Amino acid sequence: MSIGALIGVFIGAALINNFVLSNFLGICPFLGVSRKIDMAFGMGCAVTFVMTVSGVVTWLIVHAILTPIGAAMGNPEALYFLKYAAFIMVIASMVQLVEMYLRKFFPSLYTAFGVFLPLITTNCAILGACLLIDMKPEYSNLLSATVFAFAGGVGFMLAITIMAGIREHIRFSDVPRCLQGAGITLLTAAILALAFMGFTGMGK
Amino acid sequence: MLAMASIDPSSMLAALDGTTLLLAAAVLFGLTLLFATVLGIAKEKLRVEEDPRIGQVTEVLPSANCGGCGFAGCADFAKAVVEKRAACSGCPVGGSKVADRIAAILGIEVVQTFPYRPVVHCGAKSYQRKGSVSYDGVQSCVEANVVGVTQGCVYGCLGFGDCMASCNYDAIRMVDGLPVFDYDKCTGCGACVRACPRNIIEQIPFREDRMLVIACSNKEPGKLVKQVCEVGCIGCKMCQRMLADMFEVKNNLAFVKYDGYAAEEEREKVIAKCPAEVMVYFGKPKPEYAEALTQENA
Repeated sequence: MSIGALIGVFIGAALINNFVLSNFLGICPFLGVSRKIDMAFGMGCAVTFVMTVSGVVTWLIVHAILTPIGAAMGNPEALYFLKYAAFIMVIASMVQLVEMYLRKFFPSLYTAFGVFLPLITTNCAILGACLLIDMKPEYSNLLSATVFAFAGGVGFMLAITIMAGIREHIRFSDVPRCLQGAGITLLTAAILALAFMGFTGMGK
Repeated sequence: MLAMASIDPSSMLAALDGTTLLLAAAVLFGLTLLFATVLGIAKEKLRVEEDPRIGQVTEVLPSANCGGCGFAGCADFAKAVVEKRAACSGCPVGGSKVADRIAAILGIEVVQTFPYRPVVHCGAKSYQRKGSVSYDGVQSCVEANVVGVTQGCVYGCLGFGDCMASCNYDAIRMVDGLPVFDYDKCTGCGACVRACPRNIIEQIPFREDRMLVIACSNKEPGKLVKQVCEVGCIGCKMCQRMLADMFEVKNNLAFVKYDGYAAEEEREKVIAKCPAEVMVYFGKPKPEYAEALTQENA
């Protein structure tokens, strides 16, 4: 794959088809952990790590374990029904790993995340990334799959950090009473998504 | 490259023979084993040294995770207790039983605590204040305190009832220009303490139903106090001489040291000797206030 195509994959996943703002995946942490910039950035880093590693490992599981074993039995797709179980297992394990790592080296971040850290396990953006890699033929080589997964995480980090920056300012703004809290947050997310629509058409 | 990984349900069902099932189980088992090994190694490598007492305390807690203690759950509360950020009696569900067991684990003793309730350090009823001028401004203590000359004493109660307005529990009434506390209703939240612009309301530990309070805040010498008030503390130090454990005079003003709260008969002797009548009891049975309250309610 040419370097240009890889850059295209990166921009496509991070900006044009941003997981949060275009695909509406991973909304839960996007709204839950975007109160402070440093926390949002930490969450973005954790998701990026889990997404990249999960993307690579699930690619390996599909292409190096499930397909060859199936092929040996005569039908390469014979074991594909194990994908979902295997993917979730990979993601859960990676989250556990991140959790242990954070607890050891960044205890303050670990306490700040609270319940949202184990909830990365059920972050649909990550399973979404794994399934998209699996579904789309252009990610059938490991390099582009890795770039896609990493870019998806970077896009998530970008979105959640921008959102946290805006929300830090909203705290000091005169928000109409009926919109305070979740209302203004969702409106902000909507306008942010509209802004990201401007990237549409960059790819081609 | 490989074909698109779409799953056709009918082909899947057809493929579900015994060999496939066995193989599927074997594959998943292998993967599980792999990840379990990785996580097991990671757990050893990334082990966090935790105070073992946190686990012990968590075990004696009720595990209801109700959040009644103000922490995110029992484990969080246990951590806070071990780190001395919370009292071992902090679990409202477990009560004293759990508090005792936590104390045993931590090797400390449960200290009996008293409820803190507000008292006002001013005893001058409106007709006992000298040098008052007529004030038609905004009827609140904060405003009157800024104006500054509504009465002679610049320390004492202004009597406009900001504390009464701040009370969420309807526990304060203004009687003769002084706040009267209804200790049955009072929760000790401290709203009145914050509301008072002259900082003369203080929360004291109520060891008994009635507590002795120095009802004066005037730090001027006795002569000046006498010019502005009939009942102010003149700083004669009589109480300090008689009962140094309990009383202390600083800046021409007597204070009660509640750690050295003396027995009733000793207190009575001092109160009888005090030339200024500033020693007042605050607390539940106060017939004259109870009467005033019933009158107002009626």
